[in-house]
Amino acid sequence: MDLGFKGKTALVTGAGSQKGFGREIALLLAKEGCDAVAVTDIIDDVQKTADDIKKIGSKSIAVKADITKKAEVDEMVKKVLDEYGKIDILCNVAGAILHKDYVPLDEQKYETWAKQMDLNLFGTMHVTRAVLPQMRKLKNGAIVNIGSGSTHQYSFGVAVYAISKYAIDLFTRQLAYQEGKNGIRCNCIAPGPAPTNFGAVLREGMPPMPPEQAEKMRENMLAAFPLGRMGTPADIANITIIMASDVTNYITGQVIQVSGGNVME
Amino acid sequence: MDLGFKGKVALVTGAGSQIGFGKEIALLLVREGCDAVAVTDINIDDCNKTADEIKKLGKKSIAVKADITNPQDVDALVKKVIDEYKRIDILCNVAGGIASRVPYDKSKPEDWDKDVRLNLYSIMLMCQAVLPYMKEKKSGSIVNIGSGSTRMYAHGAGNTYAISKAGVDTFTKQLAFNEAKNGIRCNCVAPGPAPTNFIPGPDKQGMIDMLAKTIPMGRGATQADIANATAFFASDMSGYVTGQVLHVSGGSVLD
Repeated sequence: MDLGFKGKTALVTGAGSQKGFGREIALLLAKEGCDAVAVTDIIDDVQKTADDIKKIGSKSIAVKADITKKAEVDEMVKKVLDEYGKIDILCNVAGAILHKDYVPLDEQKYETWAKQMDLNLFGTMHVTRAVLPQMRKLKNGAIVNIGSGSTHQYSFGVAVYAISKYAIDLFTRQLAYQEGKNGIRCNCIAPGPAPTNFGAVLREGMPPMPPEQAEKMRENMLAAFPLGRMGTPADIANITIIMASDVTNYITGQVIQVSGGNVME
Repeated sequence: MDLGFKGKVALVTGAGSQIGFGKEIALLLVREGCDAVAVTDINIDDCNKTADEIKKLGKKSIAVKADITNPQDVDALVKKVIDEYKRIDILCNVAGGIASRVPYDKSKPEDWDKDVRLNLYSIMLMCQAVLPYMKEKKSGSIVNIGSGSTRMYAHGAGNTYAISKAGVDTFTKQLAFNEAKNGIRCNCVAPGPAPTNFIPGPDKQGMIDMLAKTIPMGRGATQADIANATAFFASDMSGYVTGQVLHVSGGSVLD
């Protein structure tokens, strides 16, 4: 299926982690024919991702930016636009769980709430706001946000994160409704558990346990998954680039759970 | 993107109408590489046309006449496809329609029955008949066509249709949950209004264009919009997606 990426420029946030969704999405956009894939992250590794994109044959620049800082975001987007003249596709992947202390919701520090919202919600909003004006000029654009299965899968310790991601679901829908008339689509991919840095952060917060016990816990968890396995970065990248492409031209405002049947609402 | 359809056999219901989703889906599955796409409809003359077009694209196809609200017809249909191609990897349940246009407050159980049989029982029967062969292979992908009407409220006619399609949403999820352990996925594509036979009268596009004023993206759905999403769900590229209802309605349905 030709995804029609020829001539298109994409911007992918959170593309620094070498085992994360952002990098996988950026590389797949390049493989499927995007002319240019700009990548951004707060960490230096984002340069490696850009180098790998160039090896595939697409143009790329890596721009370091802290997406919680409006000024840095504006400068980052300006740099991409100066370089490529347009952004057709925006993948808002940057995000993380910032609390690993397994305490009840109400005992979580205010600072943690604020930091989590700053990164997952406001970060995505800063980037989107900066990219929108020129998408409106093009009368065309596809935005894909990365949400989270945690919005519908309840577990202790991730509540604040889940709330920030639920806000992404709603941001997706509101933006889709507002920008439909401008030819701009916005959808959200909500991943289930996957072997990214995310799990490592959660494990840090857990009480230490012997390796056999940890393995048992992992097996029990996987056995409870309807499809019996974790997601992979490729699972997320495949559907993200489909939603970024013109073959889904009539799909907007949708949240798609990519979690092997863990979440079906 | 290679959808990995090489070597795969698909069965598409409701593939007779020459302006419907079923035909468009069947042809796209073929263009994207399926070895064989069997098609079925109650209207066999039109269904034969679809099969002929598939063969013109260089792939195998048979057209089988079946009333999929009838269990005997469904069993005979699936048997015929299995006899011919030995397997069914992909099942697209497209057949459906508004069977009763009697407003809900005036309708009788007989009217409800028509919609539920045509839109819900038919899909349940098809899945029951095809599942054993998918289980044998520990692999399979089912895509049901739902409807935006489950979330777009309208007066009068079409209420029981919407109710029957809401049943399809839930059936999709129950099946997805039950069959995941067997490597079988099940998802639902819920279209917004499109210029198919679903729209009565000759000026179908005109009707759609009128409706389009209320749609955030300012246009109705096309057959290709629905076929693209369906083919993606049918493919291994969506291997970790199951139990989902995807609204393809230009922002008309947002939750």
